[in-house]
Amino acid sequence: MTTTEAVPNVSRQIRWLDFLAAFRAWLFLGILLVTFEIWAHAEYNSTFFLNPFNVKSIAIFTVTPLLLGLGQTFVIISGGIDLSVGFTMGLSAVVTAHVFNWGTQFGSPVLSLVLAVLTGLGIAVVPGVINGMLIADLRVPPFIGTLGMYGVARGVAFLLARGTTVPVQNALIGAIGNGEIAGFPNLVLLTVAILAMMHYILSQTRYGQHIYAIGGNVNAALRAGINVRNDTVVLYILSSLTAGCAGILYTAKFSAGAAQAGEPVLLDSIAAVVIGGASLFGGSGTVIGTVIGALIIAVIQYGLVFVNVEPFWQFVAVGVVIIISVLVDQIQKQVGKDGANG
Amino acid sequence: MKRWISIFAALAALGLVVPSIIDVASAADKKYTVALIPGLTTDAFYITMHKGADAAAKVLGVTLVFQGAADFNPVTQVPVLNAIIGRKPDAILIAPTDKVQLVEPLKKAVDAGIPVLTVDTFIGDGHYQTGSGDADFPLSYIASDNILGGQIAARALAKAIGDKGKVYVSNVKPGISTTDQREQGFKDEMKKHPNISVLETQFNDDDANKAASQFQSVYARNPDLTGVFGANLFSAMGAANGVKQGGMNGKVKVVAFDAPTSIVGEIKSGNVDIAIAQHPAEIGYFGVVAAYAHLTGQSVPTLIGTGFTVIDKSNIDDPNVKRFIYSD
Repeated sequence: MTTTEAVPNVSRQIRWLDFLAAFRAWLFLGILLVTFEIWAHAEYNSTFFLNPFNVKSIAIFTVTPLLLGLGQTFVIISGGIDLSVGFTMGLSAVVTAHVFNWGTQFGSPVLSLVLAVLTGLGIAVVPGVINGMLIADLRVPPFIGTLGMYGVARGVAFLLARGTTVPVQNALIGAIGNGEIAGFPNLVLLTVAILAMMHYILSQTRYGQHIYAIGGNVNAALRAGINVRNDTVVLYILSSLTAGCAGILYTAKFSAGAAQAGEPVLLDSIAAVVIGGASLFGGSGTVIGTVIGALIIAVIQYGLVFVNVEPFWQFVAVGVVIIISVLVDQIQKQVGKDGANG
Repeated sequence: MKRWISIFAALAALGLVVPSIIDVASAADKKYTVALIPGLTTDAFYITMHKGADAAAKVLGVTLVFQGAADFNPVTQVPVLNAIIGRKPDAILIAPTDKVQLVEPLKKAVDAGIPVLTVDTFIGDGHYQTGSGDADFPLSYIASDNILGGQIAARALAKAIGDKGKVYVSNVKPGISTTDQREQGFKDEMKKHPNISVLETQFNDDDANKAASQFQSVYARNPDLTGVFGANLFSAMGAANGVKQGGMNGKVKVVAFDAPTSIVGEIKSGNVDIAIAQHPAEIGYFGVVAAYAHLTGQSVPTLIGTGFTVIDKSNIDDPNVKRFIYSD
């Protein structure tokens, strides 16, 4: 944070930049929605954002990158990175599908659902624990440790799936995955619940404060008596757990588990965290920011299809948004520092 | 190549090349090793191809080696190929992951005296032993005709939607020989149906979630959409989910290319209307047979085309159709 309040004679410009930096993600989202709205009117004389079908579709589309990005937000705030989440998601999806099929022999679909969800979450904890111990105890750099786990989770997931998708032979899971309550898709409701929990942990608990402290300055955190080792292990478990949730919801949505389910989403999920305002150097970021970041990516990808732009522009657009986000952050820090010094 | 074999055989018969006499004498009980390198190992299509190859290998007494990379990418496939060349099998069956980038690496196999046949995908233009170009050296290309597959998909979809309305292709990404050809065949065939307009293709990077979202966006723009052609497994799975989520079952018809086990449930529940099954086991079987034929001095056709089966609700329980579902 800059010291705008503490220094009385800072220029207006800095205050303006502060505002821009703090709300840049919201601003982007707003600009995007307005742009697509105007575009849709100009091109097809129809609304984009006021069409509830579009809103619902974008909300559902956001679920996977958001859940992968959620745990990632915690990890990135602590100054780490978790590259294994994509395949942890796939592993969880495959295991959930298998256990669900196996559980149907007991005759109760609800029982097999409970078993499947618990096993899906349980299996997701494993890569998290190993990641955490590699990084906290053995001092392996997060990038390398989780890259190793990326490979292990990938291999195990494909082995369990025997290289193919694992269909679930039961209508219950599909009904949950594609059903709605009062017009709200179940997947979105479940994601909002997980979101609220993670937001609470990060912003309201002592543990949340510890993560910011570790990411800000790990030595200071140690001197302050924070159990950095345990907190780090818990971090990577949280990251794996949200990826596991993404995997379970994938299986529910498609009535099938696939090992490669999360692979194409990994980079989008990291982009969502960064666009949402987290710094890859640690110390800053919020859950709400990541939500906005994930929505921005989803709106771009959905909107460009809607206004019928050639598909490859999607990559360009997401790339430009990432670059601008980071630029705004850098300029704000630079100017803030100069202003405070002068 | 063939001429050399006959010259060698002639020399051997004359007793002029002593070591080869022993070779020829033991040819009947020589156990050949054939290597099968799939486009990727983690795919029901290639796993089923492996089964077909295995069946042929058992009948012919051939040892089959199955090794490949985990993703469809020349960067990971070439090292596997090199390792296989190092093992010196008697023949290589490969699904090349790039039309151009695999040409030089496969030449090394031929230089090492190992005959090459390609399955499913091809190098160059797929026309072999023509004496033109530098990629005509494989002996044979054994595959389904993917352009034809796309045409069959288009015909089936046109029929299902009463020959009118808007449709689009949900595809992986450009540059893959097989999925490009399916799209091409589909679009070519649709030109013969003037009341059907084909919208812009959507590329989903093999992400079912993205394919589902793209479907919904295209549908939101085009409420008169009547059909989608999913050019591979995840494209079709995503489009089918988009239809289901929007409650458009029956209103928008989904044609899926490929038939993994999950397709059975999708067709029965009405999420997918039609599946075009290739015959990967047939590709594997005839790949091994062609390699064996060549190794035992027979000539081999340069192109072996395998068939398709159109699966829908009406025939999915028919055992003659069911056997074309890719098993795991």
